[in-house]
Amino acid sequence: MTNTENTLNAEKTQNLVNLTIDGKPVSVPHGTSVIEAAKKIGSKIPHFCWHPGLSVAGVCRLCMVKIEGNPKLQIGCNTQVTEGMKVETKHQEAKEAQKWALEFHLVNHPLDCPTCDQAGECKLQDYYMQVGRYDSQVNEEKVLKPKALDVGTELILDTERCILCSRCVRFEDQVSKTSSLGIFNRGDHSQIGLIPGRRIEHNYSYNLVDICPVGAFTARDFRFKCRVWFLEKTKTTCPGCSTGCSVSVFGNKMEREYYRLKPEVDHEVNGHWMCDYGRKMYKHCNASARQSVPQKNGTPVDWNRITNELVQELTKARNKKVALVLTPQYTNEEYALVLSSIKQILGTTPTVFIWRPETENPTEFDGVLFRGDHNANTKGLERALSQANIQAEIIRGNIEPLKNANPDLTIVLGPEIEMAYGNIENTLQSLSKLSNVVYFGVTLSDTTKQFSLTVPTKVFVEKNGTYLNYNSMPRKLIANAPVFSQIMGLDDMFAAALQRIEQ
Amino acid sequence: MAYVQVSQDPTKDWRNGYLLTTLKGLGYTTKVFLRQFFRLEKTVTKQWPDEEPDYSSRFKGKHFLTQRPDGRVRCTACFLCATNCPAQCIKIVAGETAEQGIEKFPVRFEIDILRCVFCGFCEEACPVDAIRLGPEYTMAGLAEEKWVYTLDHLLNRPAIREKIGAAQLSKKVENEKWNANANH
Repeated sequence: MTNTENTLNAEKTQNLVNLTIDGKPVSVPHGTSVIEAAKKIGSKIPHFCWHPGLSVAGVCRLCMVKIEGNPKLQIGCNTQVTEGMKVETKHQEAKEAQKWALEFHLVNHPLDCPTCDQAGECKLQDYYMQVGRYDSQVNEEKVLKPKALDVGTELILDTERCILCSRCVRFEDQVSKTSSLGIFNRGDHSQIGLIPGRRIEHNYSYNLVDICPVGAFTARDFRFKCRVWFLEKTKTTCPGCSTGCSVSVFGNKMEREYYRLKPEVDHEVNGHWMCDYGRKMYKHCNASARQSVPQKNGTPVDWNRITNELVQELTKARNKKVALVLTPQYTNEEYALVLSSIKQILGTTPTVFIWRPETENPTEFDGVLFRGDHNANTKGLERALSQANIQAEIIRGNIEPLKNANPDLTIVLGPEIEMAYGNIENTLQSLSKLSNVVYFGVTLSDTTKQFSLTVPTKVFVEKNGTYLNYNSMPRKLIANAPVFSQIMGLDDMFAAALQRIEQ
Repeated sequence: MAYVQVSQDPTKDWRNGYLLTTLKGLGYTTKVFLRQFFRLEKTVTKQWPDEEPDYSSRFKGKHFLTQRPDGRVRCTACFLCATNCPAQCIKIVAGETAEQGIEKFPVRFEIDILRCVFCGFCEEACPVDAIRLGPEYTMAGLAEEKWVYTLDHLLNRPAIREKIGAAQLSKKVENEKWNANANH
C-alpha cells in the first residue's frame, strides 16, 4: 500500500484537515504528509528519499520545513498534517538547512557529470541551482567507492554517485518484492550493494534507474547513447501488453531517433511504474528497424501512388472472395475505418481472421503490471468486430483456415510489435504463398517482397487514437512526427481510397 | 532654426579640390614605392608560403583533440561541445570501456569543418580541455576532399605534433607552470 493510495482512500472518507502552507490555506485528508500537501498547492519542497510510490524513509534530511510552534525544523515527508498547522517552506532557516543538507550530500559525490547519464535530469544538479548555490567549504579528500558495477541484466551501479537515499532498497522490498539490494558498511563508507548471491534480474529493473535521483543506477540499454537534454518526450500509451500503461517516449527530434520509454504517473493503471518488456517498445519505431517504402511485387512504389494501387487491388476483388487478417495491435479508430471502408468499396463483408501469437497465455498476470496478452488492443478488436457483426476465426502460426477459405484477395494488417509474435517469418512465408496478398506492417524482411503489395504502417508513437486495455478502459495514443516524413497511416490511405471510389 | 547651408561649405576650398588631392596621393605612393624599391623601408606584405605569418598563440585555427600522457584521447564524450556548438558541426558517438579510470570515450568524433564558424565555444565548453582550436590556419582544399575531420585526424595529425609538441599538457598544468615562472 503506497502513500498515494492511502491518500486516495482517505479522500473518499472526506476526513479533511485544514492548514496553511506558505500563507496559502489548504485542505487535505487526514494522514497526508506536509510534502504532499505542499505539492498540492504547488510549493515544491526539495527531496531525495521521499517518493510517492514508496514508503517514507526520512533519511535524506533535505525536505526541512519550518512549522510554527516547533522549536526545530521538521522533515516534510514524515510529518503528518494537523489541524491549524502553519508551515513555511521558504523560511530562511529552512532554506539554510536545505542548502547545507545538500552540501553534505555532495561531500563524497564524484561530480563526474560529464560521463554520467543522469546529468541534465539529476536532482543534485537541479537542487544545487534551486536551493544550493553555495561555495563548497569542504577541503577533505573524497571517499572513493567502486564504480560501474554489473548488478543485473539491465543495470549498472556506480556506488560513488549514490547519495544513500534508499529509494532503490525500498523499491526492491516493496514493489518488486525481490529484496536484492541493501546498504552496507557505516558512516561515509556506507554503500549500496547487492545482497550476496543475488542479482537484479526481475522485469521491473529499469524503474530503479527512474527513481534513482542521481546517476547511481544507469540503464544498460540507454547508457552513453544520447545526452538527455537532446531528448523530447511524447506522452502516450505503451503498446507492449494489454495493461496499457501511461508512458512517455523520448526521442531526439533532430535525428528522428527514439531512445527510451519512461512511465508516466497514472493511478488508475500503472501507478508510477512500468516493466522492462515495455521499455523495449521504442526499438521498432526507429528507421533502421522499419521498411520505409511500399513495394509492389518487390519493386518500390511511390507514396503518392499507393492509394491508386490499393484501390486497384480492392476493385479487382469486387464480387470475389476477400479475406481480412487482423492483428490486435492497431487502434480502435483504425479497425473501424478499415472494416467500414473495405465493406463500402467491396460491397460485401470480407471473411475476417484474427492473427494471434502462436504461443501465448493471455490470462497470465505477474501481479504488478505485465500481462500475458502481449497485444495492446485485444478488447478493442473484439469490440470493433462485434459492432460490425462479424464472426472472426483465430489463426495462430498455422494459416490452414485462411487457405481453406481460398480467398482471391487477402488483406493482412500485420503486427506492429513482431517481438510479441515470436518468429513471424514462418507465417509470413506461408502467407506469401497465397495468390494475392496486401500486407500492412512495419517489418523489414525479404519475405515481404513476395507479397503483391507491401505497405509500411505507422507505429504507435506516430498515431493518434485509442486502445482498449484488459479492463476495457480507453487508453490514448498521441502522435509524434513520423520518422519517415512521407509515410501515410491506415487512416490516410483508406480515407483517400474511399474518396477515389466515390468520384 | 539652425541648419547647415551646404552651398557655403567652409571646407570647400581649392586646396581640397580634385586636382591637388590626387597629386598629393600620387606623390605619397611614389615616395613609399621608391623608398621600398631602394630598401630604405620594410614592406608590409608577407611572402607566404615562403614566409610564415606570426599569429598570436591564442589564434583560433583548425581544431585538434588533446592526448593523455599515454597518447589516448583526453575526450570523455560528454557532448558539451556538441551541445554548445552554434553551427551544430560536431558529431560524437560515445563508447564504454572497462579500462581503469576511463568509463566513457569517443568512438567517433567528427567535425564538419564546412559548417564550423571557429567561434571557439567548443573549447570553452570542454570540461577536460580535450578540444582546442590550434595554430594551423591553412585549411584550403579541393572540392573532392573530405571535409569531415575524423577522430584520427583531430588527434594524430603530424602538424599538431610539430607545433604543439608531442606532450600536450592540460591547461591546468600549463597555468601552474606559467604561475611558477611568474612568481620567480
